Amino acid sequence: MTSIQPGRAWHPVASSGDAVVRHVFQGRLLGRELAVWRADDGYVNVWENRCLHRGVRLSIAVNDGRELKCQYHGWRYSNRTAECTYIPAHPADAPARTICNRTFAVVERHGLVWTTLELDRPEDLPVLPDDGRPLALRPITVAAPAAQVVDALRSYDAGEDLRLAAEAELLLRFDRGTAPGLTILVQPSDATTSVVRGVLHGVAVVDRDRPPLDLLRLHNRALNRVRARVESDLGPLQAEQQEPELELLSEELAELPPLSRPGRSASLRVRVERKWPAGADVAGFALAPLAGHLPAAQPGAHVDVHLPNGCVRQYSVVNAPGEGDRYVLGVKREPDSQGGSSCLHDVVREGDVLAVSEPRNNFPLRRDAEHTLLVAGGIGATPLLAMAQTLAHHGLDHELHYFAQTEDHLAFRDRLATLGGSVRRHLGLDVAATKARLGEILAGYAPGRQVYLCGPGPMIEAAREVAAQCGWPVEKVHFEYFKNAQEIDKESSFEVALARSCLTVKVLAGQTILEAVREAGVAMPSSCEQGACGTCLARVIEGEPIHQDVYLNDAEKASGEAIMTCVSRSASPRLVLDL
Amino acid sequence: MITLYDYELSADCYQARLALAVLGLEYSRVDVEFYPGREHETEWFTELSPLQQLPVLCEEETTLYDAPAILVYLASRHDPTASWYPGGDPALAGQVTLWLGFSRALAGSAGAARLHESLGHLTDIDAARSRAHTLLRVLDEHLWFGEQEGRDWLCATDRPTIADLAAFPDVALSEEGGVSRIDYPAVRRWTDRVKRIDGFVAMSGIFPAGPVAA
Amino acid sequence: MPTFLCTDPVVLNLWHPLAAIAETAPGRDHTTTLLEEQIAYALPPDGGARAWRQGAPQHPLPTLVRYGYLWTSLGTPPEDLFSIPEYDEPDRRNMNASTIGVHVSAPRAIENFLDMAHFPFVHTDVLGSEPHTEVVEYGVDVSAERDEVRATRCRMFQPKASASSADGAEVEYVYRVPHPYCSVLYKTSGDDPDRQDVIAVFLQPVDQEHVRAHLLLSVLDAAHEDKEIRNFQQSIFGQDKPILENQFPKRLPLDPRSETPIRADKSAVAYRRWLSGKGITYGVIPAGR
Repeated sequence: MTSIQPGRAWHPVASSGDAVVRHVFQGRLLGRELAVWRADDGYVNVWENRCLHRGVRLSIAVNDGRELKCQYHGWRYSNRTAECTYIPAHPADAPARTICNRTFAVVERHGLVWTTLELDRPEDLPVLPDDGRPLALRPITVAAPAAQVVDALRSYDAGEDLRLAAEAELLLRFDRGTAPGLTILVQPSDATTSVVRGVLHGVAVVDRDRPPLDLLRLHNRALNRVRARVESDLGPLQAEQQEPELELLSEELAELPPLSRPGRSASLRVRVERKWPAGADVAGFALAPLAGHLPAAQPGAHVDVHLPNGCVRQYSVVNAPGEGDRYVLGVKREPDSQGGSSCLHDVVREGDVLAVSEPRNNFPLRRDAEHTLLVAGGIGATPLLAMAQTLAHHGLDHELHYFAQTEDHLAFRDRLATLGGSVRRHLGLDVAATKARLGEILAGYAPGRQVYLCGPGPMIEAAREVAAQCGWPVEKVHFEYFKNAQEIDKESSFEVALARSCLTVKVLAGQTILEAVREAGVAMPSSCEQGACGTCLARVIEGEPIHQDVYLNDAEKASGEAIMTCVSRSASPRLVLDL
Repeated sequence: MITLYDYELSADCYQARLALAVLGLEYSRVDVEFYPGREHETEWFTELSPLQQLPVLCEEETTLYDAPAILVYLASRHDPTASWYPGGDPALAGQVTLWLGFSRALAGSAGAARLHESLGHLTDIDAARSRAHTLLRVLDEHLWFGEQEGRDWLCATDRPTIADLAAFPDVALSEEGGVSRIDYPAVRRWTDRVKRIDGFVAMSGIFPAGPVAA
Repeated sequence: MPTFLCTDPVVLNLWHPLAAIAETAPGRDHTTTLLEEQIAYALPPDGGARAWRQGAPQHPLPTLVRYGYLWTSLGTPPEDLFSIPEYDEPDRRNMNASTIGVHVSAPRAIENFLDMAHFPFVHTDVLGSEPHTEVVEYGVDVSAERDEVRATRCRMFQPKASASSADGAEVEYVYRVPHPYCSVLYKTSGDDPDRQDVIAVFLQPVDQEHVRAHLLLSVLDAAHEDKEIRNFQQSIFGQDKPILENQFPKRLPLDPRSETPIRADKSAVAYRRWLSGKGITYGVIPAGR
């Protein structure tokens, strides 16, 4: 490619008005195609125009307001970060967070969307006269290299009293008298195509909805004249397009993923943007990134919050993927708090900076059910709220059953309100009445249904029992406990062989498998470390585990194929793990 | 009872199916295998359509074989609001007719390029593509200024007309003929709007639009 | 040895389809493009088939008539083509559904043919529908003896699996890739649940980024006219076309790090490895480039 590698890295690639909501604009810069789309929250995304999976253009994807849904296999990519949040072919799996489409930095300014193809390139946008009312002209695509187009534009004459006053790379400024009148930018689309983007300055716009059409038409005619002249001088160009170099993916993404879930341990720094009472004894927190964007949280995901007092606690993310660049958490004050909830309630304030883990999803939401039941008890509503919002946004059939003491104890009532008729409240029921109500909710199992349970331990136990009586197969009953209330027996001692690492370690009485494995130098992710969250799961190749966790269901436990290394032990003298 | 002699992959037939769908009309389909059966060249079909053109629409005593004629007929006969074909308004009627003519030019360029690429029909492919780009430039400019004026559709009315239905298929299928729409952003937005018309149906080669914002 | 624009010896030595016999008027010359070369062919009135490079009728190319298509090769092809034994069963209806030009490489089109995960999104309410999107584990093997990739026990919920099915059902597919640019699928027949309909795609590489896709049907269907059966397949193929034409790059990248596979893509992973192992360079972006 000749002569189209300019020194300025940032270029306009669309007018702000081109990027309308629920649409994907197809752009091009320096020979690379771009998918430009505006989410419902106003953010404009500029991505490589190519799904990571099979290379299909994302400009034919569906913009659902929060995510792009690829037209080929329905993969969903989140607003801002372009992380894949859902792969429909494998509805039970949470996609690895690292499946992430290529994004480019974006600035929306002067009525234009700007981007750069270079990584970490500081904003070198040209400074345009800014009177707060830039008016973008109709972009004109010219079948000519950018340099030729700039040449032709030097004598631009719209019949107005404009004269060339300044020139920079791929930019011409025309003044009217001494006042800035018009900036023309030339976008180098590829070796033989350019887009002329004009911005008028100082135009008195009387009515925002009624742009000065005469002026727009006047310049459109003049730019069309320039185009006609350049194109007829050049003649038809051989559109010999060179394919841009595509980046290679990481080794990890190139492999077929294993059946087990990946875990990650990196930490993020976030600022408490807002803290508010989100229900009786419940504090809501909105955590915003200090810089850049937060990784997208899939519905059901949690983050570890590292508290100023040294405690680490897990909280589910309440907001749905693509909904704002925040993590919204709900924290219930626990009467017997050991420093987690009381610290968040009493000590942490708006403006504080916290360290949190990247979101992990060990409670993934299938979206291939014909009907999904979400059953929440108390603060257990938090992951289910994210799920309900996702299902509602995708138009999938669901009900959210929310058990609480009183109306005041319902958390995030503003979000419940937006869910409308799919929410059923069950207030003030005692143990027996709760069980009876669960029986009504779970009656009538049919294939194609899935149920998700989250709440206090006894309620989940009851619901699982009722579900089994109603004929629900265990694989259709998904649950997440806040904590593992069981007494964990750590007295045994046994040997663990790590098949992939070719190591054998001894687990002593009082020590967990996780600790022993880490001591042997094998990295292993973990989160709650009490057998509830599922992060430290390991596959069992041989041996007879004693589970002690509340993450696996009965069938999974009976199969003996996986354990939680933070609490599980061995009944056989030796356990072989796929680590 | 309406009968449509139809071939799924034909852009002209799709114009008729679109009109029938948005008008909410029931009809029966008769498959005419344009390819590979060349059924449009058979004697029985030539009797219905002397120029051997698809689609053909029959209702009671009326038999029509030209896509714009079918659209004008269906809208005039079956749209009590007269919004799809505002024949009573001289200026609008003129505009609709202009764009119906434009849609024939699209069929002769973008449509011909598509038949060349898909089915190997003989065409001067470079000329067909070049003509299609000329038309798309005109269309993009018209639609961009329409957006500035608050007008979503081809004609100066706040409702879509048969002009939009007539121009849509060959535009939306242009890339099958090697005519990219990357340089026509206003045309791309308009195709999204057409896909969101109540009653819109897709065809092979055209994906439906996603949900509109609440 | 004449020189060709295509320099891939593996591809030059393959049999390639040129046209459906049923669509070729006998007794006159026709032309088509194969591997960027202009090829003329004819069905002489006295039987047989002939093919030659345009302008060189004195050097006939090898020809074969199989499965209703005329095949040729620019190199030294194997004695025979891969076998589809079902084609010869007496109660089957064999027909060419269509020959359609597509702006994509042959291997990309094969991968699309092998793929089930796209059914709910591309063939909505016909071969698949949301929310029934799951692709359950299936088997893939590469038979060294037959030199072909095979995917078995491929199951999917389908609202309308063929021209002859009215209701939805879970259907089971078997896929074969017996030729780098040809694939054959077997699916439960609507008429006889113990037997399978056969649909094959034979891709004629026009150049590295264009194909003519020849679709062969060999079905058990007593109820429908030929044109209805063909029409159904043409509609399906017409839905895949804009996906194929929007894939980038158009040649299939063989470097495992160029695109992200999931478990549902096992057959595609095996196919890409099989192509790499053969040393194919035409229509693909070989690994390490």
